[in-house]
Amino acid sequence: MSNLVRSELLKIRTTSTWWWLAIGALLSIAMAFPLNAWLFNTTVDGGGEELGVVGDAASAPAQAANLYTSGQYLGLLFVMLIGILMVTNEFFHQTATTTFLATPRRSAVIVSKLIAASLLGFAFWLVTTVIDLGAGAAFLALNDHGTLLGEWEVQRALLLNLMAYAIWTVLGVGIGTLITNQLGAVITASVLYLIGTQVIGVLFLLLSSWLDSMAVLKWQVIWPAAASQIMITPGESEMYPPWWVGALVLVGYALASGIVGLLLTRRRDIS
Amino acid sequence: MSDGQSRPTNDAQIVVSGLTKQYRNVLAVNNLSFTVAPGRVTGFLGPNGAGKTTTLRMLLNLVTPTAGTATIGGRRYPELTEPLRHVGAVLEASSAHKGRTGINHLRVICAAAGLPRQRADEALALVGLTPAAKRKFKGYSLGMKQRLGIAAAMLGDPRVLILDEPANGLDPEGIRWMRGFLKALAAEGRTVLVSSHLLSEMQLLADDVVIIAAGQLVRQGPVEQVIGSMAQSVRVRVRTPQAEELTRALAEGPATVETDEHGALMIGGVDAPTVGRVALTAGVELHELTTERPDLERVFLELTAGKAGIR
Repeated sequence: MSNLVRSELLKIRTTSTWWWLAIGALLSIAMAFPLNAWLFNTTVDGGGEELGVVGDAASAPAQAANLYTSGQYLGLLFVMLIGILMVTNEFFHQTATTTFLATPRRSAVIVSKLIAASLLGFAFWLVTTVIDLGAGAAFLALNDHGTLLGEWEVQRALLLNLMAYAIWTVLGVGIGTLITNQLGAVITASVLYLIGTQVIGVLFLLLSSWLDSMAVLKWQVIWPAAASQIMITPGESEMYPPWWVGALVLVGYALASGIVGLLLTRRRDIS
Repeated sequence: MSDGQSRPTNDAQIVVSGLTKQYRNVLAVNNLSFTVAPGRVTGFLGPNGAGKTTTLRMLLNLVTPTAGTATIGGRRYPELTEPLRHVGAVLEASSAHKGRTGINHLRVICAAAGLPRQRADEALALVGLTPAAKRKFKGYSLGMKQRLGIAAAMLGDPRVLILDEPANGLDPEGIRWMRGFLKALAAEGRTVLVSSHLLSEMQLLADDVVIIAAGQLVRQGPVEQVIGSMAQSVRVRVRTPQAEELTRALAEGPATVETDEHGALMIGGVDAPTVGRVALTAGVELHELTTERPDLERVFLELTAGKAGIR
Protein backbone atom coordinates (compact mmCIF):
# COMPACT_ATOMS: atom_id res chain seq x y z
CA MET A 1 0.00 0.00 0.00
CA SER A 2 2.83 2.41 0.81
CA ASN A 3 4.20 1.76 -2.70
CA LEU A 4 0.88 2.80 -4.17
CA VAL A 5 0.63 5.97 -2.08
CA ARG A 6 4.19 6.83 -3.10
CA SER A 7 3.25 6.29 -6.73
CA GLU A 8 0.19 8.54 -6.36
CA LEU A 9 2.24 11.31 -4.76
CA LEU A 10 4.82 10.95 -7.54
CA LYS A 11 2.04 11.32 -10.12
CA ILE A 12 1.09 14.63 -8.53
CA ARG A 13 4.64 15.91 -8.19
CA THR A 14 5.57 15.10 -11.79
CA THR A 15 2.94 17.31 -13.40
CA SER A 16 2.50 21.04 -13.17
CA THR A 17 -1.22 21.08 -12.21
CA TRP A 18 -0.74 20.96 -8.43
CA TRP A 19 1.75 23.80 -8.71
CA TRP A 20 -0.87 26.04 -10.32
CA LEU A 21 -3.42 25.11 -7.67
CA ALA A 22 -0.88 25.86 -4.92
CA ILE A 23 -0.27 29.29 -6.44
CA GLY A 24 -4.04 29.76 -6.56
CA ALA A 25 -4.32 28.89 -2.86
CA LEU A 26 -1.57 31.38 -1.97
CA LEU A 27 -3.21 34.09 -4.07
CA SER A 28 -6.52 33.49 -2.31
CA ILE A 29 -4.75 34.10 1.03
CA ALA A 30 -3.22 37.26 -0.38
CA MET A 31 -6.70 38.48 -1.34
CA ALA A 32 -8.60 37.31 1.73
CA PHE A 33 -6.18 38.33 4.46
CA PRO A 34 -6.35 42.13 3.99
CA LEU A 35 -10.14 41.89 3.74
CA ASN A 36 -10.39 39.86 6.95
CA ALA A 37 -7.95 42.20 8.70
CA TRP A 38 -10.14 45.17 7.77
CA LEU A 39 -13.22 43.24 8.96
CA PHE A 40 -11.50 42.57 12.29
CA ASN A 41 -10.71 46.22 12.87
CA THR A 42 -14.17 47.39 11.85
CA THR A 43 -16.17 44.93 13.96
CA VAL A 44 -13.95 45.06 17.05
CA ASP A 45 -14.21 48.86 16.92
CA GLY A 46 -18.01 48.47 17.07
CA GLY A 47 -18.83 48.96 13.39
CA GLY A 48 -20.05 45.39 12.91
CA GLU A 49 -23.74 46.18 12.75
CA GLU A 50 -23.47 47.96 9.43
CA LEU A 51 -21.85 44.78 8.00
CA GLY A 52 -24.37 42.45 9.66
CA VAL A 53 -21.69 40.98 11.93
CA VAL A 54 -23.18 40.96 15.42
CA GLY A 55 -23.19 38.94 18.65
CA ASP A 56 -20.64 36.15 19.07
CA ALA A 57 -19.36 36.63 15.55
CA ALA A 58 -18.33 40.22 16.29
CA SER A 59 -16.12 39.29 19.25
CA ALA A 60 -12.35 39.62 18.97
CA PRO A 61 -11.70 35.84 19.24
CA ALA A 62 -14.27 35.04 16.53
CA GLN A 63 -12.77 37.65 14.23
CA ALA A 64 -9.27 36.40 15.01
CA ALA A 65 -10.40 32.87 14.09
CA ASN A 66 -11.67 34.24 10.79
CA LEU A 67 -8.37 36.04 10.19
CA TYR A 68 -6.28 32.95 10.99
CA THR A 69 -8.20 30.91 8.40
CA SER A 70 -7.93 33.46 5.60
CA GLY A 71 -8.01 31.95 2.12
CA GLN A 72 -9.95 28.93 3.26
CA TYR A 73 -12.89 29.51 0.93
CA LEU A 74 -10.91 29.15 -2.32
CA GLY A 75 -8.27 26.92 -0.72
CA LEU A 76 -10.89 24.22 -0.14
CA LEU A 77 -11.97 24.52 -3.76
CA PHE A 78 -8.40 23.99 -4.92
CA VAL A 79 -7.76 20.89 -2.81
CA MET A 80 -11.06 19.46 -4.01
CA LEU A 81 -9.94 20.06 -7.61
CA ILE A 82 -6.67 18.23 -6.89
CA GLY A 83 -8.68 15.29 -5.56
CA ILE A 84 -10.84 15.29 -8.69
CA LEU A 85 -7.85 15.52 -11.03
CA MET A 86 -6.12 12.62 -9.26
CA VAL A 87 -8.86 10.36 -10.58
CA THR A 88 -10.09 11.98 -13.80
CA ASN A 89 -6.54 12.45 -15.15
CA GLU A 90 -6.32 8.64 -15.31
CA PHE A 91 -9.21 8.58 -17.74
CA PHE A 92 -8.46 11.83 -19.57
CA HIS A 93 -4.88 10.76 -20.32
CA GLN A 94 -5.80 7.06 -20.60
CA THR A 95 -3.35 6.11 -17.87
CA ALA A 96 -6.01 4.06 -16.06
CA THR A 97 -4.90 1.09 -18.17
CA THR A 98 -1.29 1.40 -17.01
CA THR A 99 -2.35 1.98 -13.42
CA PHE A 100 -4.63 -1.04 -13.24
CA LEU A 101 -2.09 -3.25 -15.03
CA ALA A 102 0.45 -2.45 -12.31
CA THR A 103 -2.20 -2.97 -9.61
CA PRO A 104 -5.14 -5.13 -10.64
CA ARG A 105 -6.65 -4.69 -7.14
CA ARG A 106 -8.54 -1.54 -7.99
CA SER A 107 -9.82 -0.89 -4.48
CA ALA A 108 -6.21 -0.58 -3.37
CA VAL A 109 -5.62 2.04 -6.07
CA ILE A 110 -8.62 4.12 -4.99
CA VAL A 111 -7.77 3.81 -1.29
CA SER A 112 -4.18 4.90 -1.97
CA LYS A 113 -5.54 7.87 -3.90
CA LEU A 114 -7.68 8.75 -0.86
CA ILE A 115 -4.65 8.52 1.43
CA ALA A 116 -2.44 10.54 -0.92
CA ALA A 117 -5.23 13.12 -1.25
CA SER A 118 -5.54 13.43 2.54
CA LEU A 119 -1.78 13.92 2.86
CA LEU A 120 -1.94 16.60 0.22
CA GLY A 121 -4.90 18.28 1.92
CA PHE A 122 -2.86 18.26 5.13
CA ALA A 123 0.12 19.83 3.35
CA PHE A 124 -2.08 22.60 1.90
CA TRP A 125 -3.56 23.25 5.36
CA LEU A 126 -0.12 23.32 6.95
CA VAL A 127 1.37 25.81 4.50
CA THR A 128 -1.64 28.13 4.42
CA THR A 129 -1.98 27.98 8.21
CA VAL A 130 1.68 28.78 8.81
CA ILE A 131 1.33 31.82 6.54
CA ASP A 132 -1.92 32.88 8.23
CA LEU A 133 -0.45 32.41 11.69
CA GLY A 134 2.59 34.51 10.90
CA ALA A 135 0.69 37.31 9.21
CA GLY A 136 -2.28 37.18 11.63
CA ALA A 137 -0.19 37.19 14.80
CA ALA A 138 1.89 40.08 13.50
CA PHE A 139 -1.23 42.06 12.55
CA LEU A 140 -3.00 41.47 15.88
CA ALA A 141 0.08 42.18 17.98
CA LEU A 142 0.78 45.40 16.10
CA ASN A 143 -2.83 46.48 16.77
CA ASP A 144 -2.43 45.82 20.53
CA HIS A 145 -4.84 42.85 20.69
CA GLY A 146 -2.18 40.27 21.47
CA THR A 147 -2.07 37.17 19.22
CA LEU A 148 -5.31 35.70 20.71
CA LEU A 149 -3.83 32.24 19.96
CA GLY A 150 -4.62 31.14 23.51
CA GLU A 151 -8.36 31.45 22.81
CA TRP A 152 -10.11 28.11 22.35
CA GLU A 153 -12.28 29.60 19.65
CA VAL A 154 -9.17 30.36 17.57
CA GLN A 155 -7.61 26.93 18.15
CA ARG A 156 -10.91 25.28 17.32
CA ALA A 157 -11.12 27.18 14.03
CA LEU A 158 -7.61 26.05 13.06
CA LEU A 159 -8.42 22.41 13.77
CA LEU A 160 -11.77 22.51 11.97
CA ASN A 161 -9.98 24.15 9.08
CA LEU A 162 -7.66 21.11 8.95
CA MET A 163 -10.66 18.83 8.99
CA ALA A 164 -12.26 20.79 6.16
CA TYR A 165 -9.11 20.49 4.03
CA ALA A 166 -8.90 16.73 4.56
CA ILE A 167 -12.60 16.13 3.88
CA TRP A 168 -12.80 18.27 0.75
CA THR A 169 -9.75 16.59 -0.81
CA VAL A 170 -11.27 13.17 -0.13
CA LEU A 171 -14.62 14.40 -1.45
CA GLY A 172 -12.79 15.49 -4.62
CA VAL A 173 -11.47 11.94 -5.13
CA GLY A 174 -15.00 10.63 -4.55
CA ILE A 175 -16.50 13.03 -7.12
CA GLY A 176 -13.77 12.06 -9.59
CA THR A 177 -14.65 8.38 -9.32
CA LEU A 178 -18.34 9.16 -9.78
CA ILE A 179 -17.87 11.52 -12.74
CA THR A 180 -14.83 10.30 -14.65
CA ASN A 181 -15.22 12.93 -17.38
CA GLN A 182 -12.64 15.52 -16.33
CA LEU A 183 -14.41 18.65 -17.53
CA GLY A 184 -17.76 17.39 -16.28
CA ALA A 185 -16.41 16.62 -12.81
CA VAL A 186 -14.53 19.93 -12.44
CA ILE A 187 -17.48 22.03 -13.58
CA THR A 188 -20.03 20.12 -11.49
CA ALA A 189 -17.92 20.33 -8.34
CA SER A 190 -17.05 24.01 -8.81
CA VAL A 191 -20.68 24.93 -9.38
CA LEU A 192 -21.77 22.91 -6.34
CA TYR A 193 -19.15 24.61 -4.22
CA LEU A 194 -19.15 28.21 -5.46
CA ILE A 195 -22.67 28.92 -6.61
CA GLY A 196 -24.31 26.24 -4.54
CA THR A 197 -24.11 27.90 -1.13
CA GLN A 198 -25.78 31.14 -2.14
CA VAL A 199 -28.49 29.51 -4.26
CA ILE A 200 -29.24 27.02 -1.50
CA GLY A 201 -29.33 29.81 1.10
CA VAL A 202 -31.92 31.73 -0.90
CA LEU A 203 -33.95 28.60 -1.67
CA PHE A 204 -34.15 27.67 2.00
CA LEU A 205 -35.02 31.23 2.96
CA LEU A 206 -37.96 31.14 0.54
CA LEU A 207 -38.94 27.71 1.79
CA SER A 208 -38.84 28.81 5.42
CA SER A 209 -41.01 31.90 4.82
CA TRP A 210 -43.45 29.83 2.77
CA LEU A 211 -43.73 27.20 5.51
CA ASP A 212 -43.46 29.94 8.15
CA SER A 213 -40.84 27.92 10.01
CA MET A 214 -37.29 28.96 10.97
CA ALA A 215 -36.41 25.32 11.67
CA VAL A 216 -36.46 24.55 7.94
CA LEU A 217 -33.40 26.78 7.52
CA LYS A 218 -31.33 24.33 9.51
CA TRP A 219 -31.80 21.76 6.74
CA GLN A 220 -29.39 23.76 4.57
CA VAL A 221 -26.81 21.53 6.13
CA ILE A 222 -27.64 18.75 3.70
CA TRP A 223 -25.81 20.76 1.04
CA PRO A 224 -22.05 19.96 1.20
CA ALA A 225 -20.84 23.53 0.84
CA ALA A 226 -23.35 24.75 3.41
CA ALA A 227 -22.35 21.93 5.76
CA SER A 228 -18.75 23.02 5.42
CA GLN A 229 -19.68 26.61 6.23
CA ILE A 230 -21.72 25.54 9.26
CA MET A 231 -18.91 23.30 10.47
CA ILE A 232 -16.41 26.16 10.61
CA THR A 233 -18.81 28.82 11.90
CA PRO A 234 -18.40 29.41 15.64
CA GLY A 235 -21.26 30.10 18.02
CA GLU A 236 -24.93 29.14 18.17
CA SER A 237 -27.67 30.45 15.92
CA GLU A 238 -31.31 29.62 15.41
CA MET A 239 -30.69 29.64 11.66
CA TYR A 240 -28.06 26.89 11.64
CA PRO A 241 -27.61 23.53 13.34
CA PRO A 242 -24.53 23.04 15.57
CA TRP A 243 -21.11 22.73 13.92
CA TRP A 244 -20.84 19.00 14.46
CA VAL A 245 -23.93 18.35 12.35
CA GLY A 246 -22.13 20.06 9.48
CA ALA A 247 -19.03 17.96 10.15
CA LEU A 248 -21.05 14.72 10.17
CA VAL A 249 -22.85 15.59 6.95
CA LEU A 250 -19.56 16.41 5.24
CA VAL A 251 -17.86 13.23 6.43
CA GLY A 252 -20.95 11.35 5.29
CA TYR A 253 -20.66 12.79 1.78
CA ALA A 254 -16.95 12.01 1.61
CA LEU A 255 -17.53 8.42 2.74
CA ALA A 256 -20.55 7.87 0.49
CA SER A 257 -18.88 9.23 -2.65
CA GLY A 258 -15.68 7.34 -1.84
CA ILE A 259 -17.46 4.02 -1.32
CA VAL A 260 -19.83 4.32 -4.30
CA GLY A 261 -16.91 5.45 -6.48
CA LEU A 262 -14.83 2.52 -5.27
CA LEU A 263 -17.58 0.02 -6.08
CA LEU A 264 -18.11 1.59 -9.52
CA THR A 265 -14.39 1.52 -10.25
CA ARG A 266 -14.13 -2.16 -9.35
CA ARG A 267 -16.78 -3.07 -11.92
CA ARG A 268 -15.96 -0.58 -14.65
CA ASP A 269 -14.60 -1.82 -17.99
CA ILE A 270 -11.43 0.09 -18.86
CA SER A 271 -11.25 0.53 -22.62
CA MET B 1 13.56 -24.96 -22.56
CA SER B 2 16.42 -27.39 -22.23
CA ASP B 3 17.87 -26.31 -18.88
CA GLY B 4 15.79 -28.97 -17.11
CA GLN B 5 15.16 -26.65 -14.18
CA SER B 6 12.11 -26.73 -11.96
CA ARG B 7 10.13 -24.08 -13.83
CA PRO B 8 7.45 -25.78 -15.91
CA THR B 9 7.14 -24.53 -19.45
CA ASN B 10 3.45 -23.78 -19.05
CA ASP B 11 4.34 -21.14 -16.48
CA ALA B 12 4.12 -18.60 -19.27
CA GLN B 13 1.36 -20.20 -21.29
CA ILE B 14 -1.75 -18.19 -22.07
CA VAL B 15 -5.01 -20.13 -22.08
CA VAL B 16 -8.23 -18.53 -23.25
CA SER B 17 -11.26 -20.71 -22.64
CA GLY B 18 -14.84 -20.06 -23.65
CA LEU B 19 -14.28 -16.32 -23.37
CA THR B 20 -17.39 -14.26 -24.11
CA LYS B 21 -18.16 -10.54 -23.87
CA GLN B 22 -21.66 -9.28 -24.43
CA TYR B 23 -21.91 -5.50 -24.65
CA ARG B 24 -25.32 -3.89 -24.63
CA ASN B 25 -25.90 -4.32 -28.35
CA VAL B 26 -22.93 -6.31 -29.55
CA LEU B 27 -21.59 -9.78 -28.86
CA ALA B 28 -17.97 -8.62 -29.11
CA VAL B 29 -16.35 -11.96 -28.25
CA ASN B 30 -18.23 -15.22 -28.63
CA ASN B 31 -17.08 -18.41 -26.83
CA LEU B 32 -13.44 -17.91 -27.86
CA SER B 33 -10.81 -20.50 -26.92
CA PHE B 34 -7.13 -20.68 -27.87
CA THR B 35 -3.69 -21.17 -26.32
CA VAL B 36 -0.46 -19.24 -26.73
CA ALA B 37 2.83 -21.09 -26.22
CA PRO B 38 6.05 -19.73 -24.68
CA GLY B 39 9.15 -19.33 -26.83
CA ARG B 40 7.21 -18.30 -29.91
CA VAL B 41 5.74 -15.16 -31.38
CA THR B 42 2.00 -15.58 -31.80
CA GLY B 43 0.16 -13.26 -34.15
CA PHE B 44 -3.41 -12.44 -33.11
CA LEU B 45 -5.20 -11.56 -36.31
CA GLY B 46 -8.65 -10.45 -37.26
CA PRO B 47 -10.49 -7.79 -39.22
CA ASN B 48 -11.33 -4.50 -37.52
CA GLY B 49 -14.04 -5.05 -34.94
CA ALA B 50 -13.31 -8.78 -34.66
CA GLY B 51 -12.85 -8.50 -30.89
CA LYS B 52 -9.03 -8.58 -30.67
CA THR B 53 -8.68 -5.63 -28.30
CA THR B 54 -11.61 -6.75 -26.13
CA THR B 55 -10.04 -10.20 -25.82
CA LEU B 56 -6.65 -8.79 -24.80
CA ARG B 57 -8.31 -6.47 -22.27
CA MET B 58 -10.24 -9.37 -20.75
CA LEU B 59 -6.97 -11.31 -20.50
CA LEU B 60 -5.55 -8.39 -18.50
CA ASN B 61 -8.58 -7.92 -16.24
CA LEU B 62 -9.36 -4.49 -17.67
CA VAL B 63 -12.67 -5.69 -19.09
CA THR B 64 -14.82 -8.19 -17.20
CA PRO B 65 -15.83 -11.22 -19.31
CA THR B 66 -19.51 -12.13 -19.52
CA ALA B 67 -18.44 -15.79 -19.48
CA GLY B 68 -15.30 -17.89 -19.76
CA THR B 69 -11.79 -17.49 -18.41
CA ALA B 70 -8.39 -16.25 -19.54
CA THR B 71 -5.30 -17.32 -17.62
CA ILE B 72 -1.58 -16.68 -17.77
CA GLY B 73 0.48 -19.54 -16.35
CA GLY B 74 -2.73 -20.99 -14.94
CA ARG B 75 -3.73 -17.88 -13.02
CA ARG B 76 -6.08 -15.03 -13.81
CA TYR B 77 -4.34 -11.66 -14.09
CA PRO B 78 -5.58 -10.25 -10.75
CA GLU B 79 -4.35 -13.42 -9.04
CA LEU B 80 -0.73 -12.76 -10.07
CA THR B 81 1.20 -11.55 -7.03
CA GLU B 82 3.48 -9.14 -8.86
CA PRO B 83 1.76 -8.81 -12.23
CA LEU B 84 4.38 -6.61 -13.92
CA ARG B 85 7.07 -9.21 -13.18
CA HIS B 86 4.99 -11.79 -15.06
CA VAL B 87 3.25 -9.86 -17.80
CA GLY B 88 4.12 -6.77 -19.81
CA ALA B 89 1.43 -5.21 -21.97
CA VAL B 90 1.40 -2.49 -24.61
CA LEU B 91 -2.18 -1.54 -25.24
CA GLU B 92 -2.43 1.92 -26.73
CA ALA B 93 0.14 4.43 -27.87
CA SER B 94 -1.28 7.41 -26.06
CA SER B 95 -1.36 6.17 -22.48
CA ALA B 96 0.75 8.63 -20.52
CA HIS B 97 0.00 12.02 -18.96
CA LYS B 98 0.82 14.59 -21.64
CA GLY B 99 2.59 16.89 -19.18
CA ARG B 100 4.78 14.21 -17.64
CA THR B 101 8.26 13.30 -18.90
CA GLY B 102 8.93 9.84 -20.27
CA ILE B 103 11.26 8.87 -17.44
CA ASN B 104 8.79 10.07 -14.78
CA HIS B 105 6.01 8.08 -16.45
CA LEU B 106 8.11 4.94 -15.96
CA ARG B 107 9.10 5.90 -12.40
CA VAL B 108 5.45 6.23 -11.42
CA ILE B 109 4.85 2.66 -12.64
CA CYS B 110 8.00 1.41 -10.86
CA ALA B 111 6.78 2.95 -7.61
CA ALA B 112 3.33 1.36 -7.93
CA ALA B 113 4.73 -2.06 -8.81
CA GLY B 114 7.46 -1.97 -6.16
CA LEU B 115 10.20 -2.20 -8.80
CA PRO B 116 13.58 -0.53 -8.22
CA ARG B 117 13.73 3.00 -9.58
CA GLN B 118 16.69 2.36 -11.89
CA ARG B 119 14.55 -0.08 -13.89
CA ALA B 120 13.00 3.03 -15.47
CA ASP B 121 16.38 4.12 -16.84
CA GLU B 122 17.25 0.59 -17.97
CA ALA B 123 13.94 0.09 -19.78
CA LEU B 124 14.27 3.46 -21.50
CA ALA B 125 17.76 2.52 -22.69
CA LEU B 126 16.44 -0.84 -23.90
CA VAL B 127 14.08 0.87 -26.38
CA GLY B 128 16.58 3.59 -27.33
CA LEU B 129 14.66 6.47 -25.76
CA THR B 130 17.33 7.68 -23.30
CA PRO B 131 17.95 10.95 -25.20
CA ALA B 132 14.23 11.85 -24.82
CA ALA B 133 13.99 10.80 -21.16
CA LYS B 134 13.34 14.28 -19.84
CA ARG B 135 11.08 15.42 -22.64
CA LYS B 136 7.36 15.67 -21.94
CA PHE B 137 5.09 13.02 -23.42
CA LYS B 138 3.18 15.54 -25.54
CA GLY B 139 6.40 16.22 -27.46
CA TYR B 140 6.86 12.56 -28.42
CA SER B 141 6.26 11.29 -31.95
CA LEU B 142 3.92 8.34 -32.43
CA GLY B 143 6.91 6.03 -32.78
CA MET B 144 8.45 7.35 -29.55
CA LYS B 145 5.16 6.87 -27.71
CA GLN B 146 5.07 3.28 -28.94
CA ARG B 147 8.63 2.73 -27.70
CA LEU B 148 7.76 4.24 -24.32
CA GLY B 149 4.84 1.81 -24.11
CA ILE B 150 7.23 -1.09 -24.75
CA ALA B 151 9.65 0.29 -22.14
CA ALA B 152 6.78 0.33 -19.63
CA ALA B 153 5.95 -3.29 -20.50
CA MET B 154 9.59 -4.34 -20.00
CA LEU B 155 10.00 -2.72 -16.55
CA GLY B 156 9.39 -5.96 -14.67
CA ASP B 157 11.41 -8.11 -17.13
CA PRO B 158 8.24 -10.19 -17.73
CA ARG B 159 8.06 -13.68 -19.24
CA VAL B 160 4.87 -12.82 -21.10
CA LEU B 161 4.50 -9.91 -23.52
CA ILE B 162 1.12 -8.82 -24.86
CA LEU B 163 1.05 -6.13 -27.54
CA ASP B 164 -1.98 -4.58 -29.25
CA GLU B 165 -1.08 -3.25 -32.72
CA PRO B 166 2.50 -2.33 -31.74
CA ALA B 167 3.51 -1.47 -35.30
CA ASN B 168 0.97 1.36 -35.57
CA GLY B 169 2.72 4.63 -36.20
CA LEU B 170 6.19 3.13 -36.57
CA ASP B 171 8.32 3.98 -39.59
CA PRO B 172 9.93 1.14 -41.61
CA GLU B 173 13.08 1.32 -39.47
CA GLY B 174 10.95 1.19 -36.31
CA ILE B 175 8.99 -1.78 -37.60
CA ARG B 176 12.20 -3.65 -38.37
CA TRP B 177 13.51 -2.82 -34.89
CA MET B 178 10.28 -4.08 -33.33
CA ARG B 179 10.43 -7.33 -35.33
CA GLY B 180 13.99 -8.05 -34.16
CA PHE B 181 13.12 -7.07 -30.60
CA LEU B 182 10.09 -9.36 -30.33
CA LYS B 183 11.81 -12.28 -32.06
CA ALA B 184 14.71 -11.96 -29.62
CA LEU B 185 12.32 -11.98 -26.65
CA ALA B 186 10.62 -15.13 -27.94
CA ALA B 187 14.01 -16.75 -28.53
CA GLU B 188 14.74 -16.20 -24.82
CA GLY B 189 11.76 -18.43 -24.07
CA ARG B 190 9.21 -15.70 -23.43
CA THR B 191 5.62 -15.75 -24.61
CA VAL B 192 4.88 -13.01 -27.14
CA LEU B 193 1.29 -12.34 -28.23
CA VAL B 194 0.93 -9.59 -30.85
CA SER B 195 -2.30 -8.40 -32.37
CA SER B 196 -2.11 -6.80 -35.77
CA HIS B 197 -3.84 -6.34 -39.06
CA LEU B 198 -0.56 -5.86 -40.95
CA LEU B 199 -0.46 -9.33 -42.50
CA SER B 200 2.77 -9.03 -44.46
CA GLU B 201 4.51 -7.93 -41.26
CA MET B 202 2.95 -10.83 -39.36
CA GLN B 203 4.20 -13.31 -41.94
CA LEU B 204 7.74 -12.09 -41.22
CA LEU B 205 7.27 -11.96 -37.44
CA ALA B 206 4.93 -14.69 -36.23
CA ASP B 207 5.62 -18.36 -35.60
CA ASP B 208 1.99 -19.12 -34.74
CA VAL B 209 -1.23 -17.34 -35.60
CA VAL B 210 -4.64 -17.14 -33.99
CA ILE B 211 -7.19 -15.80 -36.48
CA ILE B 212 -10.55 -14.56 -35.24
CA ALA B 213 -13.50 -12.95 -36.97
CA ALA B 214 -16.80 -11.69 -35.58
CA GLY B 215 -15.63 -12.62 -32.08
CA GLN B 216 -15.06 -16.28 -32.92
CA LEU B 217 -11.99 -18.42 -33.58
CA VAL B 218 -11.43 -19.07 -37.28
CA ARG B 219 -8.08 -20.86 -37.28
CA GLN B 220 -5.16 -21.44 -34.92
CA GLY B 221 -1.75 -22.99 -35.53
CA PRO B 222 1.78 -22.49 -36.82
CA VAL B 223 1.88 -20.05 -39.75
CA GLU B 224 3.15 -22.70 -42.20
CA GLN B 225 0.41 -25.10 -41.19
CA VAL B 226 -2.35 -22.52 -41.48
CA ILE B 227 -1.13 -21.51 -44.92
CA GLY B 228 -0.62 -25.18 -45.86
CA SER B 229 -4.22 -25.93 -44.94
CA MET B 230 -5.16 -23.85 -47.93
CA ALA B 231 -2.87 -25.93 -50.22
CA GLN B 232 -5.55 -26.30 -52.85
CA SER B 233 -4.96 -22.69 -53.70
CA VAL B 234 -1.32 -23.24 -54.77
CA ARG B 235 -1.04 -22.01 -58.35
CA VAL B 236 1.58 -22.03 -61.10
CA ARG B 237 2.34 -18.88 -63.04
CA VAL B 238 3.49 -19.24 -66.63
CA ARG B 239 4.59 -16.71 -69.20
CA THR B 240 4.62 -17.87 -72.77
CA PRO B 241 4.19 -16.38 -76.25
CA GLN B 242 2.01 -19.42 -77.12
CA ALA B 243 -0.68 -19.11 -74.44
CA GLU B 244 -3.46 -20.58 -76.55
CA GLU B 245 -1.53 -23.74 -77.42
CA LEU B 246 -0.59 -24.34 -73.80
CA THR B 247 -4.16 -23.76 -72.59
CA ARG B 248 -5.43 -26.26 -75.15
CA ALA B 249 -2.79 -28.83 -74.16
CA LEU B 250 -3.57 -28.42 -70.43
CA ALA B 251 -7.32 -28.68 -71.00
CA GLU B 252 -6.91 -32.43 -71.40
CA GLY B 253 -5.91 -32.75 -67.71
CA PRO B 254 -7.40 -31.53 -64.39
CA ALA B 255 -5.85 -28.08 -64.73
CA THR B 256 -7.76 -24.79 -64.55
CA VAL B 257 -6.29 -21.86 -66.45
CA GLU B 258 -6.88 -18.15 -66.00
CA THR B 259 -5.11 -15.13 -67.40
CA ASP B 260 -3.99 -12.47 -64.92
CA GLU B 261 -3.92 -8.73 -65.50
CA HIS B 262 -0.31 -8.84 -66.78
CA GLY B 263 -1.08 -11.48 -69.40
CA ALA B 264 0.49 -14.37 -67.47
CA LEU B 265 -1.35 -17.70 -67.15
CA MET B 266 -2.39 -18.72 -63.61
CA ILE B 267 -2.73 -22.49 -63.58
CA GLY B 268 -4.39 -24.37 -60.73
CA GLY B 269 -4.90 -28.06 -60.04
CA VAL B 270 -1.49 -29.24 -61.26
CA ASP B 271 2.10 -28.68 -60.05
CA ALA B 272 4.90 -26.90 -61.86
CA PRO B 273 6.71 -30.06 -63.17
CA THR B 274 3.47 -31.24 -64.77
CA VAL B 275 2.99 -27.90 -66.51
CA GLY B 276 6.61 -28.03 -67.73
CA ARG B 277 6.18 -31.55 -69.09
CA VAL B 278 2.94 -30.69 -70.88
CA ALA B 279 4.58 -27.62 -72.40
CA LEU B 280 7.59 -29.64 -73.61
CA THR B 281 5.34 -32.29 -75.17
CA ALA B 282 3.26 -29.64 -76.91
CA GLY B 283 6.39 -27.79 -78.07
CA VAL B 284 5.43 -24.61 -76.25
CA GLU B 285 8.15 -22.08 -75.44
CA LEU B 286 8.15 -20.98 -71.73
CA HIS B 287 9.57 -17.69 -70.42
CA GLU B 288 8.56 -18.17 -66.80
CA LEU B 289 7.39 -21.10 -64.67
CA THR B 290 6.79 -20.23 -60.99
CA THR B 291 4.93 -21.92 -58.14
CA GLU B 292 2.83 -19.33 -56.30
CA ARG B 293 2.20 -20.30 -52.68
CA PRO B 294 -0.63 -18.50 -50.96
CA ASP B 295 0.65 -15.96 -48.43
CA LEU B 296 -0.83 -15.17 -45.05
CA GLU B 297 -2.79 -12.31 -46.54
CA ARG B 298 -4.61 -14.47 -49.05
CA VAL B 299 -5.31 -17.19 -46.49
CA PHE B 300 -6.57 -14.59 -44.03
CA LEU B 301 -8.87 -12.97 -46.58
CA GLU B 302 -10.28 -16.33 -47.64
CA LEU B 303 -10.80 -17.47 -44.04
CA THR B 304 -12.46 -14.28 -42.87
CA ALA B 305 -14.42 -13.52 -46.05
CA GLY B 306 -17.92 -12.36 -45.22
CA LYS B 307 -17.20 -12.19 -41.49
CA ALA B 308 -15.42 -8.85 -41.46
CA GLY B 309 -16.66 -5.39 -40.88
CA ILE B 310 -19.08 -3.56 -38.70
CA ARG B 311 -21.36 -5.51 -36.44
